[in-house]
Amino acid sequence: MFEAQEINAEHKDLIHDVAYDFYGQRMATCSSDQYVKVWDQNAEGKWILTSSWKAHSGSVWKVTWAHPEFGQVLATCSFDRTAAVWEEVVGETPGPSERGIRHWVRKTNLVDSRTSVTDVKFGPKSQGLQLATCSAEGIVRIYEAPDVMNLTQWTLQHEVPCKLPCSCISWNPSLSKNHPQMLAVGSDDANPINGGKVFIYEYSENSRRWIKLETLNSVLDPVHDIAFAPNLGRSFHILAVATKDVRIFNITPDNSDPSGVTKLDVQTVAQFDDHGCTVWRVCWNVIGTVLASSGDDGTVRMFKMNYVNSWKSVAIMKGDGSLAPNDGSKNLSNALTSISQTARYIKLGSIITPKEREASWH
Amino acid sequence: MSSTFCAIQEGQVNALALNKDYTQVAVGGRNVFKIYLIEDDKFTEVYNLRAPKHLGTSFSCNDVAWSSIDDNYLATAATNGHVCVWNLTKMGKAMQEQDYQEHKRTVNKVNFHTSEPYKLISGSQDGTMRYFDIRVSTAVAIFYSNTESVRDVQFNPHNPCAFAAVSENGSVQLWDVRKPDKYYHQFTAHSGPIFACDWHPETTWLATASRDKTIKVWDMTNKPSPEYTIHTIASIGHVKWRPQRKYHISSCALVIDSSINVWDIRRPYIPYAAFNEHKDIASGIAWKGDPDAFLSTGRDCTLYYHAFSDADRPASRANAQAISLNTKGEILYAKKIVVSNNSTCKSSIGLMRKSSTSVVPDHFHQAASLLQYYVKNVQQRQESEAFLCFAKNYALTGRSLSEMCDHNAAVAMECGKKPISTIWKMIKTMYGEEFLQNTETHTSRNRENSISGLVPPSVGIEHPINDQVNRDDDNPVAQFSDETENEDQVDHVAMYSNGFPTYLNYRTGLPKGDFSFGENELDMEFDGIGTELRNSYRSFQPVQPVQPDWTLPSEAFPIRHEILDRSPPADQFPNNSPDINEDPLPLMTSVHDHPQGLLTVRVLPSKISWDPGNLVVAALKHHALLGDIQTAVCILIVLGDQRKFLTDLDETIQEQWILGYIELLTRYQLWNIVTQIIKLSWIPSINQLNQQSTRVNTSCSKCNKPLQRIGWLCDRCHSSEYALCSVCHQVVKGLYVWCQGCSHGGHLVHMQQWISKNSMCPTGCGHFCEYR
Repeated sequence: MFEAQEINAEHKDLIHDVAYDFYGQRMATCSSDQYVKVWDQNAEGKWILTSSWKAHSGSVWKVTWAHPEFGQVLATCSFDRTAAVWEEVVGETPGPSERGIRHWVRKTNLVDSRTSVTDVKFGPKSQGLQLATCSAEGIVRIYEAPDVMNLTQWTLQHEVPCKLPCSCISWNPSLSKNHPQMLAVGSDDANPINGGKVFIYEYSENSRRWIKLETLNSVLDPVHDIAFAPNLGRSFHILAVATKDVRIFNITPDNSDPSGVTKLDVQTVAQFDDHGCTVWRVCWNVIGTVLASSGDDGTVRMFKMNYVNSWKSVAIMKGDGSLAPNDGSKNLSNALTSISQTARYIKLGSIITPKEREASWH
Repeated sequence: MSSTFCAIQEGQVNALALNKDYTQVAVGGRNVFKIYLIEDDKFTEVYNLRAPKHLGTSFSCNDVAWSSIDDNYLATAATNGHVCVWNLTKMGKAMQEQDYQEHKRTVNKVNFHTSEPYKLISGSQDGTMRYFDIRVSTAVAIFYSNTESVRDVQFNPHNPCAFAAVSENGSVQLWDVRKPDKYYHQFTAHSGPIFACDWHPETTWLATASRDKTIKVWDMTNKPSPEYTIHTIASIGHVKWRPQRKYHISSCALVIDSSINVWDIRRPYIPYAAFNEHKDIASGIAWKGDPDAFLSTGRDCTLYYHAFSDADRPASRANAQAISLNTKGEILYAKKIVVSNNSTCKSSIGLMRKSSTSVVPDHFHQAASLLQYYVKNVQQRQESEAFLCFAKNYALTGRSLSEMCDHNAAVAMECGKKPISTIWKMIKTMYGEEFLQNTETHTSRNRENSISGLVPPSVGIEHPINDQVNRDDDNPVAQFSDETENEDQVDHVAMYSNGFPTYLNYRTGLPKGDFSFGENELDMEFDGIGTELRNSYRSFQPVQPVQPDWTLPSEAFPIRHEILDRSPPADQFPNNSPDINEDPLPLMTSVHDHPQGLLTVRVLPSKISWDPGNLVVAALKHHALLGDIQTAVCILIVLGDQRKFLTDLDETIQEQWILGYIELLTRYQLWNIVTQIIKLSWIPSINQLNQQSTRVNTSCSKCNKPLQRIGWLCDRCHSSEYALCSVCHQVVKGLYVWCQGCSHGGHLVHMQQWISKNSMCPTGCGHFCEYR
């Protein structure tokens, strides 16, 4: 069971992204109104707006946190063709007993793209401070801050042409030394003739280049979001794709090829058209066992792996305060009208739990 | 409806103008001056006024205008200050009917009067505007703007006498053509140069576009007031209202952005439509009289016909939803608010809304999101808190494998995780079984123990044996079991008599010590011994399952286990075994003290040795696969040295697991446990994780010089006085805590006590110390 709490974000246009920080105690929101807002949770669990600033001169598409090891650092990307890196700095302490006022400072503006920058993501911590952006012109750019203490200096390390307009990007978070750095890129190109819309790239230490390993040819519809599951101990990777439905792929790398080129075995392990319409976002829990998706039907759906390769829908949350039954939920989308709740807390009733199955190993 | 098409020009095109019927278009540029007929799917060239046969003049067109009354008249503005009037009815050189050479600098704009046929106005870089009658060879009126340059002049369509002029100093001037001495109104509209303005065809709005990246819409009814502001990504060079769409305005940028955007002024952040055909900056826009088509020219030497239906709609591709999950399983969810048909105003949204009378049947401008935060309720939180419970309460070191397994199984059970509890029990059992099957002496002892176990716990039997072993070892051997080890031994025994919980608290100080094992106490003992023996069994398994000589080392190994956490086992092993081999006899005798156990042994060795390694690896991998990296890593740690028998498990996989577990713990901010895991890790790369950047220099609290050599003696002040504990004035050896503000500090305990009662620094320096 979940309880829904409404947060009055006071953005003047659509909110395009929300992001928890590494610890899940702060959040950042970004909107078309060109503002980024940072929120902190107080002792009562309420979200308090701590910073709000005009970050770009166009819609801010995505906001993402760097690992806290690098400080309180955010990256944003925008319709204004730039990506920016922000750091929270504590101002001069005004008095002996007061804490300094914190504010966010633009550390760098990455202006290489000639079109809208559609996504920005920090790379895995083990690789230092890396930033990947992708743009509507179809170019993935990898930046690096050679000195993690100096966030003003970023060098463009790689430009990877993607052929199709890119809409989303995801780093493979695997911690294993066996897995070279990997990126998945999704395209929202609408033309099926242009082929698969998800590309997987791997960094080759030998050639010092990003090499395209695979195009997921089964995904022909526009892709809106893509997310590698946190990989804490699997030998294969799990990739979730938000397109007209939710898809989950198992990607097993095979490094045995003598040429040193990784071969990927890609399996579609799940495909859910529960939303019955465009799926906008996919997001994993921190251990990569539960996938949440949201679609045009206004619901958040959660999927869980019961055992290997078997995924099941475990919960549906409707944003308007009513509870959606697990089946036949498609006809409910029109029941979603407008937000007219006055109550701050809405009890959503019990979320469907089809026999919560424990992960038993025998 | 026709679709987008284009015509390539010989050079850059600076401007375009449509005739009054929207059937022809004139384009002008540095080397281009042509007139095209607009057909359904192509442009057909009608005139080329730049062709050598017409005119060899080199002045380039900066702007071009077409009379809205007489289809035969065109005017061009040149960079050298000339304003030319062209008569299409004439031929050759005579086409150029007038050539006004009055402006001293570039003419930026030329415009025909909307209702008077022969009148036109020009605006120039020299700061003047000149009003021409094409029948007269000189300007009929000159307007001095008193600004450096005039970028645009536009006749007011609602007032035939009035025109607006914008200039590079950011001001808008309103003039009456009949009063050339002074503007009748002026206001500052932008913080940067204004490059263009456009009167709304229906209302009294004037749109201005500036280098400050904004388009502003002013209501000019009385005192000009800003109605809307559009924030764009680049300096705006041109703006044109979209016909028949009250709230739509098109714009093109002067730099960076080569696309032409159509905005809904009520939603000023994202273009309603975008046209990305131009490869370089667009230099002009002209609507074809209806809202569905317009033409544009660009620096990429093209003239485009755009069908509105071919537009890119950035907003439709924009992500309208967002979700994020955190460690506690809470969800943040933002979604677009679905607007109902009778768009009732939602005051709570803070949406910018003006009176919406001429409602276009789309809700583009009504964009707002709802941000929700889903919190798990108590029931579910317990579920996700199992991880925390395990992380905090698992015993990972300091005891025998079986004890840890049992403890951890109990922890898992208490959290309601039966499967995980089971795997801990299995880990224990598998190795116990092994030992029972294959090692004769120990089997015998266990048998004996289990028999004696029928009566209350037989500590009395165990202790002497252990002691005996110790003594036996000690005599011939270098003193490897020293004082501390003996103490350990005693602890160990004490645990048997006092029961498990006491042991827990005593040894590790773990908070969760009060598990009631009740009747299991017996098992506990049994397993305790089993593990010790199993350890030794494991070490020798690769040689041969049953080998008389090797019974001795196995006896000796309980000691080895006892000191396991004192020093690296690898060092002890070589010392140990040869010593034992030297003196096998006493141990043998000790075994023979219990002859009844030997009976069983005769049967058991015939069983095939079975290595559970593969199974354990499979189990661990399965857990890892299911995301339960915690169980996998903890079992690996608890297995200790026995890990080396899990041959199927690559070290890289182990490393990945441990790193994964560390990351998870980090997310939960369990730093102590992270450190414990790092310390217990057997993989060098992980072990080194907390060996880097560990140096923290404190500062002398008197002179603020960092104390580099010794933590409490300042090299400059040559005094330790200021680095002592502020409370007790002693040198701090152990945990030192200090305020970052005044660098005074002291013993952790003392400072805690002080700060709990006071807010000021104990030294009396007047600083309100902060400890967080």
